[in-house]
Amino acid sequence: MPVGPFGLDPLIWGPLRLVIAVALALFLVLNGALLQIYLERKIQAIIQDRLGPYHVGPFGLLQTFADAIKLIAKEDVRARATDPWFFLAAPALVFCPMLASWVVLPFAQDIVGADLNIGLLYLTTLGSMTVLGIVIAGWASNNKYALVGGLRSAGQLISYEIPQILALVSVALVVGSLSMVDITRSQPGPLVNVLVLPLSFVIYFIAALAETNRTPFDLPEAESELVAGWLTEYSGMRWGTMLALSEYGNVTVVSSIVTTLWFGGWQGPGVDAVPILGVLWFTLKVYGVIVVMMWIRATLPRLRIDQLMTFCWLGLIPLALLNILVVAVLALAFPDTKIPIAIASWVLLLAFIAGIPFVQRRRLASLRARASASAVRAAS
Amino acid sequence: MRFDFVEPVVFALLAFGVIGAGAAVVLLNRVTASALLMALSFLCMAGMFVLLGAETIAAFQVLIYVGAITVLIIFGVQFTKQGGDRSYALFFQKQYPLAAALVAAVAIPVVLFAFSFNAPTPQPGGGDIRPLATSVFTDFAFAFEVASVLLLAAMVGAIVLTQRDEPPDGMRRRR
Repeated sequence: MPVGPFGLDPLIWGPLRLVIAVALALFLVLNGALLQIYLERKIQAIIQDRLGPYHVGPFGLLQTFADAIKLIAKEDVRARATDPWFFLAAPALVFCPMLASWVVLPFAQDIVGADLNIGLLYLTTLGSMTVLGIVIAGWASNNKYALVGGLRSAGQLISYEIPQILALVSVALVVGSLSMVDITRSQPGPLVNVLVLPLSFVIYFIAALAETNRTPFDLPEAESELVAGWLTEYSGMRWGTMLALSEYGNVTVVSSIVTTLWFGGWQGPGVDAVPILGVLWFTLKVYGVIVVMMWIRATLPRLRIDQLMTFCWLGLIPLALLNILVVAVLALAFPDTKIPIAIASWVLLLAFIAGIPFVQRRRLASLRARASASAVRAAS
Repeated sequence: MRFDFVEPVVFALLAFGVIGAGAAVVLLNRVTASALLMALSFLCMAGMFVLLGAETIAAFQVLIYVGAITVLIIFGVQFTKQGGDRSYALFFQKQYPLAAALVAAVAIPVVLFAFSFNAPTPQPGGGDIRPLATSVFTDFAFAFEVASVLLLAAMVGAIVLTQRDEPPDGMRRRR
């Protein structure tokens, strides 16, 4: 009889491993959401010169736990005119793809749910399924704000999926694999991918902000104009599942992708000697990315919907296509070294950043000319 | 303990999902519900691909059909005018014999055809992305390029169709 890990039959170890992985992922999602809400409140408070939560527990640490208990204890309210089946199914449809994404995240050496050789493709696939849940939530709510929020969200998610996937492709071109573990292994030491492919990192990070509905792309919920978008009719734990768990879970997944693809994943000093140290490095890097996202949220205002779409279709997508072209050509021309790719990528990134003020000035000038022309016509 | 029974059970669940959701798509009254159940049918179909060891195809199935096409259809349904809940079930109500005859005319040859050959043994899962990419860019390069030209033409066509004529200055809408 073959013996698997811990002296267990592999046939039993297989399902048991799955159960452990799902339980761990759930544990991480639930507690990660609580921790990230706390972080979000504290970081915004620090940036806005406030105190943030500090009453419940030491430094207000238990505030989010109290909020979660309140949400679970709340009455489950559903308006009569909502569509019962789809209204109830939507939170699950938003939550499940997010939870399933955790399967391929490599937390440390050998600590990964499943090392799929199509890991990146799997992640993008699950990311695209979230749209469906959001549209269903908006439609089943039978509420105009929710519907508009859902449609906005669908438009935004579908649009920003394109630069996101294109940015991932350039990493796959350089590394030559779609497996998250292989991608992590390909960047040992300090030479992480962000030094080689900074442009695709920036594109992915911006698109990921939009994919996870973070400010400045949080139009789908836009409390001040759409009350709460597609979440309007939801309350209690359904709202908690959709907003808190799924959104923060997605933020964690996206940050883990950024960490794995561009910052070397669990690689770090001392990992070769003590493999479990990888968990620490991975977590630190992931939370570093999350903190940057929160910093952006506290800093930038929300975009208008047309600005959002224009930025994606006229800015990010052509840039991502150009990036892929350059990276693919250079990867074919110089298969042994990454230096030409790195140089080209840095040049493109600097050109992109330096070009923004010029584009913006021309846009403003044309808008002003248009406004003054119509004002003259109205006066005459 | 043997786990051989798991795969047939999963297959039965997926088959039930594909057929049940497909039938509901045709029979339900509400268009939006039909569109959403179509997504369920696609998802179950992706599960079938996973059972066959073709994870890449399954991933593309979900990415394209569930993530893109269903959302496109839902957009179309929500942006077009609906005359209330139209009863699509009426299509069948007085014509069961005809419907049955048509279904039989399609289904019986398909079933006979399906039983006429032996299925190849499924390959073990994983590792199919490289062969797929290689065959797409070597054996099927021409078909691939033709398909991409077709998509490009469709994209250009969509842009041309949806482009508004520039109104005279001053009437221009705020962008």
